[in-house]
Amino acid sequence: MILLSLDHVDPAAFADRTGWDAKPQGMCRGEVCVPAPGAVRDDGFLDVTTAAQRLGMPIVHDEAHGVWAVGPATATGRALSTATAADPELITRDGNPFRLSSLHGRKVLLVAWSSY
Amino acid sequence: MVTVALDIKPEHTYQWIDAATPTHPSLIDTAHMTDELFGFVNIPMAVWIDETGTIVRPAEGASVERSPLRDMEIPEGLPDRLDRMFREVKKIPDDAESYRAAIVDWVANGAESRFALSPEEVVAQSQPRGDDEARAAACFELGGHLLTHAPTAEEGHEAAVPWWREAHRLHPANWTYKRQAWTLVTTLEGATENDLMQGPNDVYVGNWLDDVVAAGGGEAYTVVARL
Repeated sequence: MILLSLDHVDPAAFADRTGWDAKPQGMCRGEVCVPAPGAVRDDGFLDVTTAAQRLGMPIVHDEAHGVWAVGPATATGRALSTATAADPELITRDGNPFRLSSLHGRKVLLVAWSSY
Repeated sequence: MVTVALDIKPEHTYQWIDAATPTHPSLIDTAHMTDELFGFVNIPMAVWIDETGTIVRPAEGASVERSPLRDMEIPEGLPDRLDRMFREVKKIPDDAESYRAAIVDWVANGAESRFALSPEEVVAQSQPRGDDEARAAACFELGGHLLTHAPTAEEGHEAAVPWWREAHRLHPANWTYKRQAWTLVTTLEGATENDLMQGPNDVYVGNWLDDVVAAGGGEAYTVVARL
């Protein structure tokens, strides 16, 4: 997840990109919850450093360009923390947004390819 | 079926999508988000997702039609590097018949299919991810952001390269991170298709052939589906 500031991270935007939702019981994705006291600040923004630390997410920073990137969680030691499929916003050939959740109720074979 | 192209420059995918005239959703992932969210590390790979949005098979090699390259006769007299590439490509495991049959079985039998895994099995069989792999994902995404948000293409590429070099170092088994970066420096100006040889260059330490050989050869190049 790309961030231009660590100060005002919207928990909903964090959940949308990473799949990890800030809930009273902790940072949750699917049925998995990781206790993360202090992850949501009193002003409603995410304390992304705390949340990332609890989830084992690295944060890298390009100081010259003022950009941070938050990596994926390492809580299970595997690429997936849960079998609940992520639902990133991708784009179609024509640039329109598309989410896999729009196909709920149907089986999906998601095949990755590339032009290179 | 849904396809997703792991391509930081969406325009590179258009000719292939248009030629295929797909009737299924044909998506583009310009940030390689699906690498980290599903565990893709090469292409073609696939995940199976059931009607409830639950993954029933994690990311794994997904050949549905055996590549003719596997069985080709390598012509005599090729340049050495091309000859060696073909020899490695021929070794890549490619049991399309079994994988296709497994998909058909799942479509017919759903959760009763022996190929549909439990949530616990899906997590356990997903790609390994430790600190290095997670940091590589962050480095790759940061590089991609800098590449696409700079005032000029040159500035963007210059800013991206150190982050992509680090992503390659941290997660050498992620071929999409490497091939995406290599092709941007080895494709000739004005070429209509991306360079697939991705040979030695003066920007990155690695290149396709030498990295494949170092990683164990074509036999180790793909994540073989454990059917």
